[in-house]
Amino acid sequence: MIPDWKLERYLTGDLPDSEMREIREMEATDEIFAGRIKMMREDNRAILKKMPFERLSERLDAMPARSGNGLKGAGSNGAGNGVSFTLVKFATAAALVLAVVTVALFSQREIAVPAQSGAQVMDVAMADAVLAGDEGDTRIKGLEARIEVWKKTADSAVQMSNLDEAREGDEIQLRYLVPEKCFGMLFSMDGNGTVTMHMADDNKAIALEPGKMTTLPFAYKLDNAPKFETFYLFTSTNGFSINIDDIDALFKNKDVRQEHVTLRKVGGK
Amino acid sequence: MKGKNQADQIVLEGLYGKYAPMVYRRCFSMLKDDAEAQDMVQEVFLRIYERMDSLDLSQPSSLLWNTATRLCLNRIRDKHRHGVDVDSSELLLTIACADDEQESYEAKNILAKLFSREPESSRTIAMLHYVDGMTLEETAREVNLSVSGVRKRLRGLQAKLKNLEVK
Repeated sequence: MIPDWKLERYLTGDLPDSEMREIREMEATDEIFAGRIKMMREDNRAILKKMPFERLSERLDAMPARSGNGLKGAGSNGAGNGVSFTLVKFATAAALVLAVVTVALFSQREIAVPAQSGAQVMDVAMADAVLAGDEGDTRIKGLEARIEVWKKTADSAVQMSNLDEAREGDEIQLRYLVPEKCFGMLFSMDGNGTVTMHMADDNKAIALEPGKMTTLPFAYKLDNAPKFETFYLFTSTNGFSINIDDIDALFKNKDVRQEHVTLRKVGGK
Repeated sequence: MKGKNQADQIVLEGLYGKYAPMVYRRCFSMLKDDAEAQDMVQEVFLRIYERMDSLDLSQPSSLLWNTATRLCLNRIRDKHRHGVDVDSSELLLTIACADDEQESYEAKNILAKLFSREPESSRTIAMLHYVDGMTLEETAREVNLSVSGVRKRLRGLQAKLKNLEVK
C-alpha cells in the first residue's frame, strides 16, 4: 500500500525517477490502483474549481505591498517599486544579425532552415519538424499561443516544464507558436524583479506569423538572480506596447493574452 | 502591486495550480472539515507568499506539505486549548498538543539565523513519521536533517509526550 504522501508526490511528479517509474508501472498494470489515481486526478480538478486561485489572489491584493529585498542595483533605488528594466532591444531584424554573433553560444534556427551540422542539431529542431511539417504558414487549428523553454545540455536540449529547476549559467532557448496572425512580445522576469526583453521592437509588440513553432535566434544565459525566472509570451490581435514603469498595465490589459513558464532557480552551477 | 510582487504572485499561482489539491487533502485529513481545510489552504499559500524571499523553494511539495502540517497542528492545538471539540485521532491530538522546545527556539529566531532553511518543528517530524508512515530516512530527507537528528528530535518529543501523559 502506497502511503498518501507518496501518492501526492506521484501526482505532482516530485518523486525520484526510480519511484516514479515503479508507481507508473503499477498504475498501468493494477486496475484498482489506477482507479485510485484517476479519482485523485478528478479530485484535483474539482478542488481547483471549488477554490480557484482568484480567491487567494483577492487576499494577496488586500495585503500591503511587500518591499522585497535583494533587488539589483537600479531596481532598488528610490524609484520605488523594485523593478529594474534591462531592456535588451531585439527587433526581429536585429536579432537575426545577433544570431550570427552568438551562433557559437547555442545552435538555433527557424524551423524551415535546414540543419547546419549533425553535431549541432538539437532535439528542438526535430520537434520543429514534427510540429510544422510542410505547412509553415497555415493556421494550426485548435492550437493556442504557447511558449516553450528549452535548456541546453551537453549535446542536445531538453524542454523545461513549468516550475522545473534551473541554475545560474543554464543556457535557455525560447520558442513560441501562435495559431493566427497577431502581435506579440517575449520577455522574462527574475526573482529580483528584473525584466529582460527577448523579442519586441523596442517596447512594442511585433507582428507574428502563425502556424509554426519559431525558435528565437539567440540563447539566454541565466544569471544569479534568486528564486525563479518566468518567461512570458504576450499576444494580441492588435498592436500593443509595454510601459516599463507600469508593467501591471500589461498584465491587466484584457485584450492581451499571456502565456508563461516559470523556472525555479536552485543552487549554483 | 507591481514588479517583484507581481512576479511572486505569478510564481505563487503556478505553485497553487500544481499543489493546492495536495495541500487541501492534507488539511482536510487533519482537520476533518471542508470549510476549515479550504481556509487553511489559503493560510498555507499566504504564508509561503509572505516568506518567499527567505524560503527555499527547491522542493515545493515538501515545503507545502510540512507547512500545512504545522499550521494544522497549531489549529488543532488551539482549538483543544479553547475547549473546542476536535475530531482527531488520539495520536494526532497528542502530537498537536505536545510541547515543542524547537518551536520556542524558532520563536526566538535563533535557529532561523543559524540555518538558511526554516527548521521543521519536532511535532511536524512526529507527524511525518508516526502518522504519515515515513521511514526515518524519508523523514530525514523531508526535513533536511540527518537520520540521527530525526531520532534525537523524536526522542525529545517522546519524553515530552510521556510528561504530558503523566500530567
